[in-house]
Amino acid sequence: MVTTAPTRLSDRLSRPSAAARGVRDTRGYRVFTAVNVLVLVLVMAVTLYPFVNILAQSFSSEGFITAGQVNLVPRGFNVETYQTVMADRMFWRNYQNTLVYTVVATAIAMVLTTTFAYAISKRHLRGRSLFIGIAVFTMFFNGGLIPNYVLINTLGFKNTIWAIVLPNAISVFNLLVMKAFFENLPAELEEAAAIDGLDTYRTLLRIVLPLSKAVIATMILFYAVSFWNSWFPAFLYMDRAELYPVTVYLRNLIAGATTATSVGGGGADAMTQVAANIQSVTMVLTVLPIVCLYPFIQKYFVSGVMLGAVKG
Amino acid sequence: MRNQRKRVLGGVTAGALALTLGACSADGGTTDGEDGVDAADLESGMDGAMEDYGVGDTFVATEPVSISLLYRDHPNYPLDEDWLFFEHIEEQSNVTFDITTAPLSDYEQRRSLLIGAGDAPDVISVVYPGQEAQFVASGAILPLSDYVDLMPHFQDKVERWDLQDELETLRQEDGKFYMLPGLYEQLRYDYTVALRTDVLDELGLEEPGTWDEFRDVLQAIKDDRGGSYVFSDRWQGNALLNVASAQFGTIAGWGFGQGVVFDEDAGEYRYAGATDEYREMVEYFAGLVEDGLMDPESFTQEDDQAFAKLANEQSYAITTNAQELLGNRTTLETSLGAGNFELDKIRVPAGPEGDVMRGMRIENGFMVSSAAAEKPNFVATLQFLDWLFYSDEGLEFARWGVEGETFEREGDTRVLAEDVEFLGQNEGAPQHLQNDFGFFNGVFSLAHGSTRDLVLTHIPEEEVQWQEAMSDKEMLPPGPPWPMNEMEREQASLYQTALVDYTNQNTLAFITGQRSLDEWDAYVAELEGQNMTAYEELVNGAYQRYQENNA
Repeated sequence: MVTTAPTRLSDRLSRPSAAARGVRDTRGYRVFTAVNVLVLVLVMAVTLYPFVNILAQSFSSEGFITAGQVNLVPRGFNVETYQTVMADRMFWRNYQNTLVYTVVATAIAMVLTTTFAYAISKRHLRGRSLFIGIAVFTMFFNGGLIPNYVLINTLGFKNTIWAIVLPNAISVFNLLVMKAFFENLPAELEEAAAIDGLDTYRTLLRIVLPLSKAVIATMILFYAVSFWNSWFPAFLYMDRAELYPVTVYLRNLIAGATTATSVGGGGADAMTQVAANIQSVTMVLTVLPIVCLYPFIQKYFVSGVMLGAVKG
Repeated sequence: MRNQRKRVLGGVTAGALALTLGACSADGGTTDGEDGVDAADLESGMDGAMEDYGVGDTFVATEPVSISLLYRDHPNYPLDEDWLFFEHIEEQSNVTFDITTAPLSDYEQRRSLLIGAGDAPDVISVVYPGQEAQFVASGAILPLSDYVDLMPHFQDKVERWDLQDELETLRQEDGKFYMLPGLYEQLRYDYTVALRTDVLDELGLEEPGTWDEFRDVLQAIKDDRGGSYVFSDRWQGNALLNVASAQFGTIAGWGFGQGVVFDEDAGEYRYAGATDEYREMVEYFAGLVEDGLMDPESFTQEDDQAFAKLANEQSYAITTNAQELLGNRTTLETSLGAGNFELDKIRVPAGPEGDVMRGMRIENGFMVSSAAAEKPNFVATLQFLDWLFYSDEGLEFARWGVEGETFEREGDTRVLAEDVEFLGQNEGAPQHLQNDFGFFNGVFSLAHGSTRDLVLTHIPEEEVQWQEAMSDKEMLPPGPPWPMNEMEREQASLYQTALVDYTNQNTLAFITGQRSLDEWDAYVAELEGQNMTAYEELVNGAYQRYQENNA
């Protein structure tokens, strides 16, 4: 059996540059590199700026924020707002909900997506195109807001975690990426497994999944990020604030700060205002876990998606 | 079953549901017409209701009553079901709430969804006048005008405060109204321009009484201080145009709404954006920009940029309200230091139309689901709402709380209890009137307390004085109602969206000088191309039909 090792990015980076190998880079190539670096640095600055700005605001005092004097460095350093937000019972309650919803939803989504994708990746499956069709259909058509609400309500899912974790358990996009990945695994491996006496389920568990770590990590990241960020289902199906995820809390907080001032005669509420500072603090606390998670999973990211999508 | 189907079908989100809506309003319309207070209906809805309930009575349910409520959760005072507000109501009135919360951020969407899905609680809070119209055709909400005789305090206030004209504007095509608003005894104005009065004093200038004098004041500041402008506004100029449009005899900014004004002489509605009055207003502000008095970015910048310019003394005026004024001052304190400036609201200047203001003495209120009318505690629910929202006692309770616990009475005035903080009073006290007790809550305290006395409480002395100064402004009458049917509304909103967008764009272009005012006639002709006449005809058609059917 002949195998070719895939080129890794790190291998390529550690390779000596053309100059070191005694070959001079062409002028065009050097200009290209310079422009490339410049553009990428600009893109990075544009992407990072708002993030750093929010971070700086979260540590600044309110006067400087409203006067528009906070850019990249906190001014009037204070951590009081962090203390205030962290003292809010509801914030942690909702934070906890987000964690639970994300973990449960991701687990359910991974089980369903993997098994579905594996099944429909088999060309000999009878009715395969029908199953794929059913999945793809939902990408383009859905029942709409009110019918969905009525359905969830009738199923008794309202005000339960199931309203959040079940309706979006399979993302068709992720399903198709995974299917393509499975289709590209060498069939010989599974044939060998079958000859050695493994049935379908054990083949999946013992042979296919261990070979699919990259795509699984990528899918977990996709799902986890989307569940972490999602607020709409919770907003639709939850009647009580203690069931909301932290995204709804944050969204409401920001709306509270803006409507209090922008709606003409905003009612009794116009009299109080959530400081810009609190918004940024909550934002920082909300994105922190996902930001921390990213670097660790990202290395699987490129290879995982590429393997599935492009090679086919 | 019939009801269920009607409610489920009575979709609220537009677009995809348009077809079902059409079908539904067709068969829903006839049954709605037969609605009304039917003695037999109410007989079964008397659980907990008071036999004898009139003006001055405190509502006390004869047996425990639970009211299901759609509650708008405000992040500044998150709902706490242990609030004294709830405790006291249960103790005093025997009423509890079964609450469905929806976050402030997307309250309206949640409300539409719940009503559309037939799952709305009985009482739907925080409904602004006009928002109820979209739900009327579905039959999901109750025509409350049929039931106001169960609400003595409401009727009493409307009668005594002479609010019939304002209520008229709420009537739908069938002549009924489907929401009850918060009522004001006297209109509470809030928005105006704040000027750096220390600079005025320094230059020996008087507070401007008219918009022309306002220009002169800005000019004088500019002559002294220089700079490329002296007035940089926030809210993209929408608040300013809203306030100023009345004195120019038109509507603009936040108040542009559906874009039509009633022409008393012609007895018909006209599209405001094409009127001479609108032009005059645009010319005035274009003049300010042209003379270098007003920052052209006033109409595009973020609020924060306007604050920054104020803080850095690039500008000396900004549109504000009582609450925002305090924030503006904090901003200035950071940059200039306390005591180095004065920033005060000016009495809204008079204009070509006179010393007038536009405004309605009705505020956001509530709707009741049709399903509630079939429940045994229906009458008790209405009586309770009447007590809470319209009786003097209920209004005071919702705003101030319980005497002896959250406030004390000293003669005629009320004073917050020592351990209760609110709006800068008793700062540092352990408890907060909104957060810890649930009073002065936008859901339960309508129209800032409604009565003149309550509206002016909790308000700093300078604001009371400003209110006094504003109180002799003449009020422009609200236009007569022009309720549309479902089809007309759909068509009108298509016209209206395009027209309003176009007017807003061009208002901006004219004022900032991107487009010359010589092109005004061309602009009106372009509006014509956007179906302005068709829109006016639609509005006037609805107006005349309403006059014929209900006059």
